[in-house]
Amino acid sequence: MSHSDQNLNLTLRVWRQDGPSDRGRFVDYKVNGISTHMSFLEMLDVLNEQLVAAGEEPVAFDHDCREGICGTCGVMINGQAHGPDNETTTCQLHMRRFKSGQTIVIEPWRANPFPVIKDLAVDRTAFDRIIESGGFVSVNTGQAQDGNCLPIPRQDQESSLDAAACIGCGACVAACKNASAMLFTSAKVSHLAQLPQGDPERSQRVVNMVAQMDEEGFGGCSNTYECEAACPAGVSVEHIARLNREYIKASFCSTAVPATKSK
Amino acid sequence: MSWLTGFLKSTVGRKFVMALTGLFLCFFLVVHLSGNLLLYVGGEAYDKYAHALHSNEEFLMLAETLLFAAFALHIVLAFTTTWENKSARKTGYRKTESKRDDRAFPLLLAPDYTMMVTGLVGMLFLIVHISDFKLEFGWGLEDMTPAQKAGLIVSDGTRLIIYMAGAIALGIHVSHGLASACQTIGFNHPKYTAGIQLVSRIFGVVVALGFSSFPVMAQMYPEWFQFVGTVTTGH
Ligand code: SF4
Ligand code: FES
Repeated sequence: MSHSDQNLNLTLRVWRQDGPSDRGRFVDYKVNGISTHMSFLEMLDVLNEQLVAAGEEPVAFDHDCREGICGTCGVMINGQAHGPDNETTTCQLHMRRFKSGQTIVIEPWRANPFPVIKDLAVDRTAFDRIIESGGFVSVNTGQAQDGNCLPIPRQDQESSLDAAACIGCGACVAACKNASAMLFTSAKVSHLAQLPQGDPERSQRVVNMVAQMDEEGFGGCSNTYECEAACPAGVSVEHIARLNREYIKASFCSTAVPATKSK
Repeated sequence: MSWLTGFLKSTVGRKFVMALTGLFLCFFLVVHLSGNLLLYVGGEAYDKYAHALHSNEEFLMLAETLLFAAFALHIVLAFTTTWENKSARKTGYRKTESKRDDRAFPLLLAPDYTMMVTGLVGMLFLIVHISDFKLEFGWGLEDMTPAQKAGLIVSDGTRLIIYMAGAIALGIHVSHGLASACQTIGFNHPKYTAGIQLVSRIFGVVVALGFSSFPVMAQMYPEWFQFVGTVTTGH
């Protein structure tokens, strides 16, 4: 049996919290015979089957596509957002990254704007409100063939699409010591500012999105770049610099002021 | 909300002010260190420089006002943003580990994670430094040339510790601060970002070594710091 075919016996130290107002606590669970071919979420499925069989409440965690594209999953694994691999979501993380006998600490994303709903599931609607405040183009810009009619320099196209790769998982916030949402917000600002479709609204967009980001209670950016390292979509902090440029330009060279609206 | 209050209230706007004041203070460090290095050229060169600086009163006033304003803004914003950033996560993690593979130091010692500590040590040093050189508090420096004053102060044993701690703390502070300020005001491009990061680190080393060299050299080569000369009156 090769090393990667071994089965793992693990201790899971999982954050359990019955609901938003429960104080919560860590509980240790043992799971045995975990195949190294399993994903991290499949390992949690095994734990939950075990818990249900024992008549206990299963661990709540978010997931949907399980193929790394939807951004629904995400937990802190031994202090790292989405676990030890770069550019990998929790659902794409494999158990072969762990060793038998290891203790794995599993915590929810922590940030005031991401309150815990239950166990490992957090409320990320703060991100939706940031997008609602400006992460869109107000007019119909047509179909794919209309897009092909617009001359867009290849560099801008690539950079814009790199930013558009954000799946809104929240790992950037979770990994940041300030719980800052700058990487997420900048990804959307940068995606649209570099395309002709997004250009007309670029000033109002950045001003509104930054105002909403601040209002939600995310921290500021200290440029520690932990977000970039934790991001499963490989969104670069270059986009944060572009947000900064967009914001400074919008503030000093346009008439855009933040449209004040509350949550 | 007016555009300016909106800008200055936002996290991005305040970090912009932090960055601009920080860059201005970095520029000041360069000028300050260049002036100090004249001590190695000789007492006369240093005295000439000091005299030229102090004879231009309007310039001195303007420079000191600007410096004071920059320090005040930078420090006040440091406290408020740090407080806000800390309170953005009321419940912390049991365990945290970096995912960056290019970190040279563990998080507890990393320059970007210790900006508050290095800044505070730098600030305490600054208080002693201003009291020494500007207020000349408790030294009895009458009838001495600027070089003689400087020589006396940096040769003091307690100042060896305080000035070295200040220089090293500020060196660590700017090694992250310079590059961080560039990112905050929007300077980031594949063409030069690696360069900025390198310059920032070198600048940190220069600041730490440059400023600590004076008290250290004064202990090793006391004769270098005994300057002759008499005060020229009527300046
Ligand atoms: S920027 Fe990256 S880490 Fe942040 S929400 Fe988007 S995909 Fe997740
Ligand atoms: S479940 Fe969709 S990205 Fe992990």
